[in-house]
Amino acid sequence: MTREEAKEKIVEILRTVHTINPAKLVNVTEKTDFITDLGAPSTELVNIVAKAEEKFGVEFEDDDIDDIGSTMKETIDLVLKYVNKKQAAN
Amino acid sequence: MIRKVAVVGIGGMFPTCKDIGEFSDKIFAGKSLIREWDEAILHGKKMRSTVSGYISVAESGLEEIPSTLLVNYPEIFKDKLNRIPVENLVTADLGSIWAMLGTQDAIAMSGWSEPEIHSEQTGVVIGSGAGGNEVSRKSWHNFFALDKKTRYLGSHNVDRCMVYRDAANVSCLIQNKGVCECIGSACATGLGNIGYAYRLIAFGLQDRIIAGGTEGTSMESFIGFDAMQVLSRGHEPGKSSRPFDMDRNGFVCSFGAGIVALEAYDIAKARGANILAVIDNYFNNSDGSGDMFAPSNEGQLRLWKGLMGNNKDRLFPDVVKVHGTSTPLGDAIELFSVVNFLGDKGYHISAPKSQFGHMLGAAGAVEFVLAVLMLREQKVSPCLNSDNLNEQPEAFQLEADWNNTKEPIAAYRHLLPQQPIEKEINRIVCLNYGFGSTNSAIAVSKDGL
Repeated sequence: MTREEAKEKIVEILRTVHTINPAKLVNVTEKTDFITDLGAPSTELVNIVAKAEEKFGVEFEDDDIDDIGSTMKETIDLVLKYVNKKQAAN
Repeated sequence: MIRKVAVVGIGGMFPTCKDIGEFSDKIFAGKSLIREWDEAILHGKKMRSTVSGYISVAESGLEEIPSTLLVNYPEIFKDKLNRIPVENLVTADLGSIWAMLGTQDAIAMSGWSEPEIHSEQTGVVIGSGAGGNEVSRKSWHNFFALDKKTRYLGSHNVDRCMVYRDAANVSCLIQNKGVCECIGSACATGLGNIGYAYRLIAFGLQDRIIAGGTEGTSMESFIGFDAMQVLSRGHEPGKSSRPFDMDRNGFVCSFGAGIVALEAYDIAKARGANILAVIDNYFNNSDGSGDMFAPSNEGQLRLWKGLMGNNKDRLFPDVVKVHGTSTPLGDAIELFSVVNFLGDKGYHISAPKSQFGHMLGAAGAVEFVLAVLMLREQKVSPCLNSDNLNEQPEAFQLEADWNNTKEPIAAYRHLLPQQPIEKEINRIVCLNYGFGSTNSAIAVSKDGL
């Protein structure tokens, strides 16, 4: 999975987060911050992470979630770490 | 100095009614708001009673959006009518949303300015009888039975289930800077919150407060009372709540919300507010009987004395809005304590639960809203279905330690209107009681007396 493919799937997740205005999702980049750029409350981050687990079919360790920030780049890094590990195991 | 307190706004959510106007119309037309509840019927013989004055999610103008991570878990209630911002919807259960909707109506009626709403002198005091039952059940089921991780609940399990979620959600909606609390006293909760708010203003601690009670439609609340065998059964829906009638056999478990805007009288008067009513006093006490459930004639008499003090003649009501749940013992004890204190002339009794059932933590607040409507319309809401009154004394009236009236309920037929009646109404006393032997009473009157 490429970073661009991961980003597009994460944007799909963001479209299901009710506190994010969909109009803000047109030009999302890896620098986009879910809180400062998209207006999501910080309490939504765990919701985004949980939905990412479902979307990508992986299960994150609590330590990795504790360290995650609120940017698209950090979320892609987290997702690809687990997706690549899963692919290697297969 | 104790300040006078004005009621300057009312709102709420009422079964089978699109707004408070329709609620008023139906109540004073003598209609019942009680229906068979399809959700209760679905559970077949597990349920003893299936009638309720309920409001569905769809009837509330809402849509439940399910979580994709959990089974049958509402991620959010979407407001199809765009009344509540999404930031407030994500932290709210059904009852909290009703409290916010009622607040919007009450504030619109109050005429409060934005600076007044956001003031340090503006508080929120709203409660409910149960926790966020439905959200809680679905959360725990997914965790304990389905083995789901806690994070799949998202961040809004706590704020949608905590005890004072209704007050918290309303406070976040209106962004007041004064107190934000809830009072819990079982079925006296609705009136207890209004009474506490009255005291905060009367004693000069706040100038204005949004107060009331809400009870979101929830099978979990219904089930607990159904298990106790205290709910009405065997009557058609509109006749199932029948306070004082010989065939009463339990209360109808219902749901709704009642919200009022209270303001220091002098401040309201000075800004030219439309004063809907004036609160003359609030009093609450406990039976001291050690009995969780049974009503107490002695406790209710002390309640009346505490409410009226030395002002019995001045505060003598034209209407007594009773708790009147339609339970065999409760109605009789309450009627006799009213008669013992006031005599049996000069007032009528209103039993609103006969029309919409018992709204639990919202009951006292919705019935207070109805009392304000009675003052406005100059009509007494009836004791619907009080068709046949017992002409024999109740068993407890024959016991040696009973020191109240020996007359049967039928002797007070003239106090119990079977249909709405028009009359001059200047003063109303509202009564509510709750499990734990708690009693509450408020005296409310027309402005300008």
